Amino acid sequence: MNPLGEKYLRKDFLPFLFCPGCGDGMIVQAFLQAVDDLGCVDDLALTAGIGCSAWIGVYMHVDILKVLHGRAIPAAIGIKATNPSRKVVTFTGDGDCLAIGGNHLLHAARRNIDMTVVMVNNQIYAMTGGQVAPSTVVGSKTQTTPYGNIEKQLDGCKVAIAAGATMVSRWSTAQPKQLTRAFKKALNHKGFSFIEIMSQCPVQTGRYLLGSSSPQFNFQWLKDHCVKEEDPSKWAEIEAQGKIPVGDFLQIEQPEFMEEVARMNQRVKEAQAKGGDR
Amino acid sequence: MKDAEKIEIDRRYCKGCMLCKYICPSDVFEPGQTRSDLDYLMPRVANLENCRVCGLCEMHCPDMCMTVIAKKKRKEKK
Repeated sequence: MNPLGEKYLRKDFLPFLFCPGCGDGMIVQAFLQAVDDLGCVDDLALTAGIGCSAWIGVYMHVDILKVLHGRAIPAAIGIKATNPSRKVVTFTGDGDCLAIGGNHLLHAARRNIDMTVVMVNNQIYAMTGGQVAPSTVVGSKTQTTPYGNIEKQLDGCKVAIAAGATMVSRWSTAQPKQLTRAFKKALNHKGFSFIEIMSQCPVQTGRYLLGSSSPQFNFQWLKDHCVKEEDPSKWAEIEAQGKIPVGDFLQIEQPEFMEEVARMNQRVKEAQAKGGDR
Repeated sequence: MKDAEKIEIDRRYCKGCMLCKYICPSDVFEPGQTRSDLDYLMPRVANLENCRVCGLCEMHCPDMCMTVIAKKKRKEKK
């Protein structure tokens, strides 16, 4: 076992339930590397919904809440509201975050709550057997779209930017170093951080969308198709070629929700002490 | 330049995806004949002398079962 794993993983839960060659294990490692470098393991609180990627947090020796499908972000907001000193990280998948939990993503980003949402995107509902997801590319044949998908895909990063997230990144599992760096940035960032990770799923995405269930093929596909481009004006050009722009897209400072709540409480208390009602 | 003393592959957790063999720039691994505890064919360390301890296999292993131990330098630290 890797030294990082020896230090942070729950040994009685191992081996990982992920399929051979799944990218989720690499995300566990990249996240643990970031946590190890920052030394913030005791401050962490994780939440997870349902899906393969929701299991990422379960193997780490930190506090975790596993909740209903799509409701990982509200649970994380609850933790943050009751204990603002915690670093709250949510692991969700593309179905969990964009389909069932889509509204929660929008409103958490809008309020700029200090938390990190890690969305693992494998372009399909993998755990349930390969159904079409909001992130599935147009024209792909899945279990529920045998004649090709006719729905346009939803881009998580663009949604997060539009909704008002203050840190947005997208990397793939083929770039673990950059991914670790993005995790570190997100954990230190004060505000809503959204990291989308393009991950390989040899069993479902590979077999039905890309045409090969070999982990090596899927890994190489990610390497070839993820192009670093942080300028939004050039994304359309890259997407037209069927490729995926990756990079650290956005990092800005804005008032954080829990701090605003504390400030409001303070203001009301002061006003009441003076005799007014608000 | 660093040399590897040993590359450990944990046979309790290896699922034989061979990403380590694919990612390795120095051709250290080859498909082996032994099976892990999970009944997958494990990679075998064939050319340990080629290893430059870049850590790519360790970083990319989805089951976190690789450990590359470098010669001397790490020993001194311990």
